[in-house]
Amino acid sequence: MSQAYASVGWNRQKKLYDLVMLASVSVYLALFVGIGAIVHPNATVETLLIRGFGTGALLMLHVILSIGPLCRLAPRLLPLLYNRRHFGVAMFLMALAHGAFSLVQFHALGDLNPLVSVLVSNTRYDSLSNFPFQPLGLIALLILFLMAATSHDFWLANLTAPVWKRLHMLVYVAYGLIVAHVVLGVLQAETNRLLVMILGTGMVVVLGLHLIAGWRERKLDGTADLPISANGFVDVCGVEDIEANCAKVVTLTGERVAVFKYDGKVSALSNVCQHQNGPLGEGRIIDGCVTCPWHGYQYLPDSGASPPPFAEKVPTFNVKVVNGRVLIDPKPNAPGTRIEPAKI
Amino acid sequence: MPNNHEFYVGYLPKAPSGIAALAKRSVIGLVLLTMAVALVLVFGQQRFAVSFFEFGKVQEFQGVVREWPIPLLISGSTGMALVAEGKHGASSLVAGLEGHSVKLSGTLIHRDGSEMIEVIEGSVQFLGKADREVSTIEDLGTHSLAGEIVDSKCYLGVMNPGHTKPHRECASLCIRGGIPPMFVVRDKSNRRVNLWLLSEKGEPVNQQVLDFVSEPLEITGQVSRISDQLYFRAAPATYKRLP
Ligand code: HEM
Ligand code: FES
Repeated sequence: MSQAYASVGWNRQKKLYDLVMLASVSVYLALFVGIGAIVHPNATVETLLIRGFGTGALLMLHVILSIGPLCRLAPRLLPLLYNRRHFGVAMFLMALAHGAFSLVQFHALGDLNPLVSVLVSNTRYDSLSNFPFQPLGLIALLILFLMAATSHDFWLANLTAPVWKRLHMLVYVAYGLIVAHVVLGVLQAETNRLLVMILGTGMVVVLGLHLIAGWRERKLDGTADLPISANGFVDVCGVEDIEANCAKVVTLTGERVAVFKYDGKVSALSNVCQHQNGPLGEGRIIDGCVTCPWHGYQYLPDSGASPPPFAEKVPTFNVKVVNGRVLIDPKPNAPGTRIEPAKI
Repeated sequence: MPNNHEFYVGYLPKAPSGIAALAKRSVIGLVLLTMAVALVLVFGQQRFAVSFFEFGKVQEFQGVVREWPIPLLISGSTGMALVAEGKHGASSLVAGLEGHSVKLSGTLIHRDGSEMIEVIEGSVQFLGKADREVSTIEDLGTHSLAGEIVDSKCYLGVMNPGHTKPHRECASLCIRGGIPPMFVVRDKSNRRVNLWLLSEKGEPVNQQVLDFVSEPLEITGQVSRISDQLYFRAAPATYKRLP
């Protein structure tokens, strides 16, 4: 089992993922620049490249941002999430190419340092329609850089998951900045309504998916606020409500708990994967281990600890089965504490 | 196992068949979407101006220099504006050559019949003093004109598009570096007319117009013509921003 766990490095699925992604990016650039050059013979190559890289990066960002909520709504799409980090890094590289070409094209060979020029060459900070849109792109690019640079698990471990997660939430700030960059930039000059519509559609999809997924989750949390009985245990469900080798997710005093049924036993542990906060309760028991649906990190169901040599640990909960009902003590035990599973 | 019990673990060599099929379909959908977006964006862009920068094609030019206020090379009855490489004006390249015949090498930039030369530094050769006066000034009166201040080098062909809001920073930087600012207006038959923008006294105004480039303006001033070049003299303090 730990053999499989150990191989969260390169593997066939990741190679496939990256191959398909890079092929799609190439097709996009080839179409945009190739057909663009035929349709617009007077456009300079620089313009076509700047626009190809910029729009390509923004399209990728839309897909990246949509994958998360899509997988919450339809877990069978999880293969799309599996190597999303490389997708993110590739998107950053596209944005970097766009930004670098723009810096050279519009800001080099002048009397100012190009980075200074980005900030000061347009002075109309007092106007909306004339507002300097390029500094917005520069800030977004810096955020994307920070995220790409810290995307490796090394940083996840060193920054700790909550800090890393917060840092990576900045992607939404970057998204907002880029939308403003486009609306206050090129859309002030291009008059075709199709361009506004295509960006608007993208925003509606990203926002809509997040709202729907968030609403579903709130509903889930809301219904599960169960009463605590006298002895401190909460009756969360019947044994038969849990499918074998699967879990039911319940919310106890604000925290999500994954209650697993396997081998005629029941164990409860935190729903939050130590890797990237994936929902363990949507995972499966595979080879005797709780397996995270996102990237397959594994935990022993009774102790919440990853099998050696791995060191990840999640909190566990005391559990009882009485008359076919599953009872859980909402007080979490320290991560990695072994709790005797309840026999059915 | 029934289909919705399939569970994907990325590091296992093979995904369950149902999930693999769905992933394949999603990817095909995404690729088609990508192609559709690329095509919509290609065809959704505005037509590009018919302007040219003959990059890589260096030619030799001969004519009489006008040094002030806009560096020009006059050849017959046509004037070609002179600029230097990058975002720099050519004043220093033709300093002291007012009214002299020269030979120089450079790259042609042109749009709608307006021509400009990007002069290669060090290529200007003094040929002799011109025997005739090159400039007679024709006063065309006072006009209020609506238009946009552009940097002439990008607008005439070095960049495409080379004007409007997305190009504002670049235009400002070019004008700051000595590229002559040009006021582009439309005449009654909707054709573009380019005027060299000068101060009230007819001097270069580069540093005073940086806040006004690439946005709709109304400028009231004095229009004049010297050979085939139009000049527009106005005080920057009187420029009016249009909504
Ligand atoms: C150093 C940072 C950046 C600079 C200097 C910059 C500059 C520019 C410029 C000058 C344009 C207008 C180009 C034109 O006339 O078509 C533009 C457009 C655009 N930018 Fe950026 N940008 C930067 C960062 C970004 C980032 C991080 C993104 C993220 C995806 C982005 C996405 C776009 C898009 C989608 C467009 C519209 C397509 C286009 O006109 O190229 N930009 N940017
Ligand atoms: S979040 Fe990555 S394996 Fe759980």
